[in-house]
Amino acid sequence: MKHRWAMVIDMDRCTGCGACVVACVAENNTAVVGEEMAAQGRLMQWIRVVRYWRVEHGETRAVFVPTPCMQCENAPCEIVCPVYATYHDEDDNLNAMVYNRCIGTRYCANNCPYSVRVFNWFDYKWEKPLDEQLNPDLTTRSRGVMEKCTYCIQRIRRGKETALKEGRPVRDGEVLPACAQTCPPGAILFGDLNDPESAVSRIMKDLRRFRLMEHLGTEPRTVYLKRMRGPGR
Amino acid sequence: MLDRREFLKISGATAFAALFGGCERMPQKLIPFVIPPEHYVLGESLWYASACRQCPAGCGIVVRNSAGRAKKIEGNPLHPVNRGKLCARGHAGLQALYHPERLGRPLRLDGPRGSGKFKEIPWEEALNLLLSGLKKVRAEAPSSLLMLTDPMRGHRNLVAARFMKGFGSPNRVAWDPFGQDAQLAANEAVYGVRDLPEADLAGTRYLLSFSGDFLETGISPVHYGYAYGRMRQARPTVRGKFVHLGPRLSMTAANADVFLPIALGTEGFAALGIAHVLVKEKLTRAAGNASALWEAGLKEYTPEEVGKRTGAVPEDLVEVAREFASNQPGLALAGDGAASCTNGVFHLSCVALLNVLAGNVGKTGGISFPDRLAPFSGRGAEAGLLLPPPGSGYEDVRDAIGKMGKGAFRLAIFSGDTNPAFTLAPSLSFREAFLSVPMIVSFAPFLDETSSLSDLVLPTPTYLEEWWDDIAPVGHGGAVTFGQPVVPPYRDTRPMPDVLIAAARELGGPVASALPWGSSRECIEKTYAGMGIRLEEAHRDGGVFPGKEAASRPAPKAGKPSLPQVSEASFEGDPARFPLLLHVYPSISLYDGRGANLSWLQELPDPIATAVWRNWVEVNPATAAKFGLSDGDGVTVSSPYGSITAFLVLHPAIAEGVAAMPLGQGHTRYGRNAVNRGDNPYRLLPSASEGASRAPARQSTRVSLARTKLSGALVRTVSTEGQWLYENIL
Repeated sequence: MKHRWAMVIDMDRCTGCGACVVACVAENNTAVVGEEMAAQGRLMQWIRVVRYWRVEHGETRAVFVPTPCMQCENAPCEIVCPVYATYHDEDDNLNAMVYNRCIGTRYCANNCPYSVRVFNWFDYKWEKPLDEQLNPDLTTRSRGVMEKCTYCIQRIRRGKETALKEGRPVRDGEVLPACAQTCPPGAILFGDLNDPESAVSRIMKDLRRFRLMEHLGTEPRTVYLKRMRGPGR
Repeated sequence: MLDRREFLKISGATAFAALFGGCERMPQKLIPFVIPPEHYVLGESLWYASACRQCPAGCGIVVRNSAGRAKKIEGNPLHPVNRGKLCARGHAGLQALYHPERLGRPLRLDGPRGSGKFKEIPWEEALNLLLSGLKKVRAEAPSSLLMLTDPMRGHRNLVAARFMKGFGSPNRVAWDPFGQDAQLAANEAVYGVRDLPEADLAGTRYLLSFSGDFLETGISPVHYGYAYGRMRQARPTVRGKFVHLGPRLSMTAANADVFLPIALGTEGFAALGIAHVLVKEKLTRAAGNASALWEAGLKEYTPEEVGKRTGAVPEDLVEVAREFASNQPGLALAGDGAASCTNGVFHLSCVALLNVLAGNVGKTGGISFPDRLAPFSGRGAEAGLLLPPPGSGYEDVRDAIGKMGKGAFRLAIFSGDTNPAFTLAPSLSFREAFLSVPMIVSFAPFLDETSSLSDLVLPTPTYLEEWWDDIAPVGHGGAVTFGQPVVPPYRDTRPMPDVLIAAARELGGPVASALPWGSSRECIEKTYAGMGIRLEEAHRDGGVFPGKEAASRPAPKAGKPSLPQVSEASFEGDPARFPLLLHVYPSISLYDGRGANLSWLQELPDPIATAVWRNWVEVNPATAAKFGLSDGDGVTVSSPYGSITAFLVLHPAIAEGVAAMPLGQGHTRYGRNAVNRGDNPYRLLPSASEGASRAPARQSTRVSLARTKLSGALVRTVSTEGQWLYENIL
């Protein structure tokens, strides 16, 4: 069964609270780097909430743009990897990352227009007993390895295995990445575009739909729904 | 010679010894269980439903347990408060559970008092110390026992309250810096119900917020966050409009369709201006019948007059009033920024008045007052102990500090979920007064500013390791939440209710008969089994959630609105010396400061400033220019009560003449992640109370700014430059 997983981020629902960021850190064994590393732009979080200041009609407003990996169909990161550490997964149509292959050239991060890839500059340690919390479904990454949002591939696998065991297709809404699951206002939607009945398939037709840096032709599978403004001002 | 029999004997003994020898060394790679413990299923995860205690909202959680370890916290989909959702602080509860600096053994003071130097002692010795202290106090003067805790709920609170009553001491103080006293007082005055309302955001068409912080740190941020998403996009033809009035564009304000900046401490007047238009133009039925209100003084609050006071544009107020009236049901809410002024009750009453005038009380999409204690109606007076009014307890704290100074207390029992030495204004001299109590016993999972003042620290489990129950303050009509251990207790800790019950048994007399249970678990289970609740199902689901909401209580005063007593916000300090007003707000990640020892929260960028790991002060660019300051400068912030340093952040949407600081950083004792992260803004605050409700008035001082050389720099994480220009990405 082939899938085309996609994520829809509704900016009209997003409040900017950052629950997705911490949910992702908890799910994906993402390292905490500390103040000094953060100052050098080395945060390891896989999703960030970008805050823009916008001036509209003389009024300053803040706009929040949650930015995970775009899982591009024409991914600029894939074509530059000399060792096929980042490649296009055929079953799930995901922009996957094989940590064991990665040799740390960082070409992919350099070529990613969305700057969503993060690099392990050091072997980050989990002070005992904080390592007890580590998710057993995936590894931690060592120094010299690139990493990024995987759409919680371990959850996708688990969902597919459960469905296979029960002899049925994966149900819509059965597989959720940690960010989508926790998002209090329900701004993050996730599902399979190969399923025409899925919520994401239907919402893809929404007139508010747009994609980040659409002009680059990367065909991102993380799409956004524009924030609305009410009547009046 | 060795005969055959001897040989077998020796080899048998050797084999036996080898068997035992093997037990001494833990195998490193194999799982050493033939029959594993109940919670340990290889490769399979178990999910335990419990409840969150990272803030007072009372969300339901489910925790993934894999191989005996908690791996992830998620929202409980069955729970009416959070519907399967969870905030950043909720997730970080795991880091408290597995914190390297968590206390695992009782500590006894080993140095001068307040030095924070302790040595580990066995539990028996610690309990004997506590018991001999209690016995001595009871023999001499039972009322000289003080119990200072966070505002507990459910049977944890019942046990503590009964212990104090049975012991014979009335001195029980519960301190929550963000208590809702002003909200309670305003609701009593305007609606006639002294309770928190249920605000139906999901069903409203027009949301009017006055310094509201409901999406970040208010009463129940996940509950309102969930409802907010539904208000915006869950209805096919209606998208609720959201207008925010306040001095600062906070995260909540950033989500508004329209942000109307007004001066700090003028929210009530802005609400009166809107009420004026409603009544003058008879925009709703209730407003058409409010001539008494008009004559009582509302007619003076014309939009022009209010504009002069608040800095709002009069036409905006007129437009908002008309929209509010024509988009019903609407909802007017106020947040901590308004409630913690010296005239907070005035602000909140005026906002509540808008709900009355628009006819939003008791309606879907409006305000209602469900009876959240309905399941406990048979419990009589004790039902109130399960969900005490969510006040701050500020008056009691001040009273207790006064008594401490006079030597009224001989023994203080402190529970470390609250941190008064960090969150109280310095002029109250809490630390000095507390240290004058001859013996201090703390129940705490960590050593913080307050628990490190003790003579004896008894380590408590985190909320993920104990049996407890909870009734959330908002978000449901009569749900009871059950907390259960999601992992075996990770350290050698004991819950405070268990220790109190055991101590009561040893003490005997009335306190023993007040707590007739063997443990807090027994207390909870006996109670609920007696109510006919099936405990197994309740623990599986994480609580008891009635499908049908309890009937809403009437709001008797909502039919006859009266004009709230007008009062002005006051600010301490000479305007010439301290030209700026200080606005402090709870940090979304650190709350009142309790999250500061968790690295996930320290490294979560602030939604507006995008800063991590440190403190900052926000001012408008125009204000900064007046002081000759620029973005990223180190500054000294001085109030009449103290001076602290911070980095300057230019905030383009904050009222001029206001300096804003997030609370929560600036710890001196709370572990490696928390200390040396800037200074504590609580140290700038006066000890003023809100005039009518006696809650702490945090928005009540003026400050000045001066450039200072600070080492390092504020780390801000989000780039919106270069390829990340807004125009480029969209």
